[in-house]
Amino acid sequence: MKRFYIIIATVSVFLFFFVSCYYDNEEALYPALSNSCDTTNVTFSGTIVPILKNNCYSCHSNANAAFGANIHLEGYANVVTNYAKIIVSINLGSGVKAMPPGGKLKACSLTQFDIWIRNGMLNN
Amino acid sequence: MNNMILFPIIILLFLIPAGIFAQDDLMNLLNDSTAKEINYTTATFKSTRIMNGHSVEKMPPGQLDFRISHRFGTINSGAYNFFGLDQSNVHFSLEYGLYKWLMIGVGRGTYEKTFDGFTKFTILRQSSGARVMPVSLSVFSSVALNTLKWSDPTRTNYYSSRLSYVGQVLIARKINQSFSVQISPTYVHRNLVATELDPNDLLAVGLGGRVKLTRRISLNVEYFYLANPKKYMSLPVYNPLSVGFDIETGGHVFQLFFTNSLAMIEKGFVGETTGQWKHGDIHFGFNISRVFTLKKNKAKV
Repeated sequence: MKRFYIIIATVSVFLFFFVSCYYDNEEALYPALSNSCDTTNVTFSGTIVPILKNNCYSCHSNANAAFGANIHLEGYANVVTNYAKIIVSINLGSGVKAMPPGGKLKACSLTQFDIWIRNGMLNN
Repeated sequence: MNNMILFPIIILLFLIPAGIFAQDDLMNLLNDSTAKEINYTTATFKSTRIMNGHSVEKMPPGQLDFRISHRFGTINSGAYNFFGLDQSNVHFSLEYGLYKWLMIGVGRGTYEKTFDGFTKFTILRQSSGARVMPVSLSVFSSVALNTLKWSDPTRTNYYSSRLSYVGQVLIARKINQSFSVQISPTYVHRNLVATELDPNDLLAVGLGGRVKLTRRISLNVEYFYLANPKKYMSLPVYNPLSVGFDIETGGHVFQLFFTNSLAMIEKGFVGETTGQWKHGDIHFGFNISRVFTLKKNKAKV
């Protein structure tokens, strides 16, 4: 009898794992954000650094670079040195590992990166 | 007159048939007992993992398995990064056998800073003798909680978005002393994916095998075939293939291998393997398993 209860308990815990399933994707869940992409006011400190901070610094800050193939993305000079690598890897191009490993950056971030580079990679 | 000699002879004459009968009885007993017993197959795999994925094996009741796993950077990252060994990706876990048919475990991995928990239970055990069962079958399920900082903290973020689930049926057969195979249909659910074209549900089939080379060393191969079309996914995803060795040394099992996946949880290596063998995106990896006996086995339940 005890064994029976254990089995019931296990199966119910097991099923519980699957009850909170959602079918979300970021495009559908955050449409307002993906539509309102600020492409006019792209600056290094206001746009690029936050993107890097949220997506890259867990492995590419100066302190953590050992985890990220020793590629430093902290500080203006480091970003400028590595801009070519960054742009290929965040656009999942060939020759460089696709980054970030958890999934492609938002389209807006990619556009902003592109704009910043085309504007001459200003330290603003 | 010859009573003294005759008596032992008579006794002997009586004893001989008795001895013969007794022998028959013993033989019968032996036959009976072998016929009634179920011979369960043991050690289909050396460890609870084949390489990345789970095997049908479970921890025996009362035994705690402390696992330390590493996947290093890619071999093609060059000598400057010591062929990937400068970067390491860790997964720690504590796994415990509750009953003969049930084990549970918790872990924490570097990959997406994930906490994970799993249960694995046996449905069928491969056996011969009184009950013939061609395969062992276990069911595995796990939940993983990604604890990375939100990529955009200003939007409304949901806790559910951090979760992903895995359901897996593990079917294995020990074909002979040195050769075992496993097929594991796998279902992965991700609550949040990047784009509309990324599937929330992933279906995959895992194939694994083990060939024993010596008493302590075996060669293992594992492959997952991801059935979802990969063409439109926002990440370039490939099927993970791992090749390596199991080395058993007393209380430890070392698994040393090469794989094109970085993650050590199903959600990661089934759905997010971005490396390709042909481009040299190969990670060296190892799992170390140390078993502690917490409770003496009472052989119950």
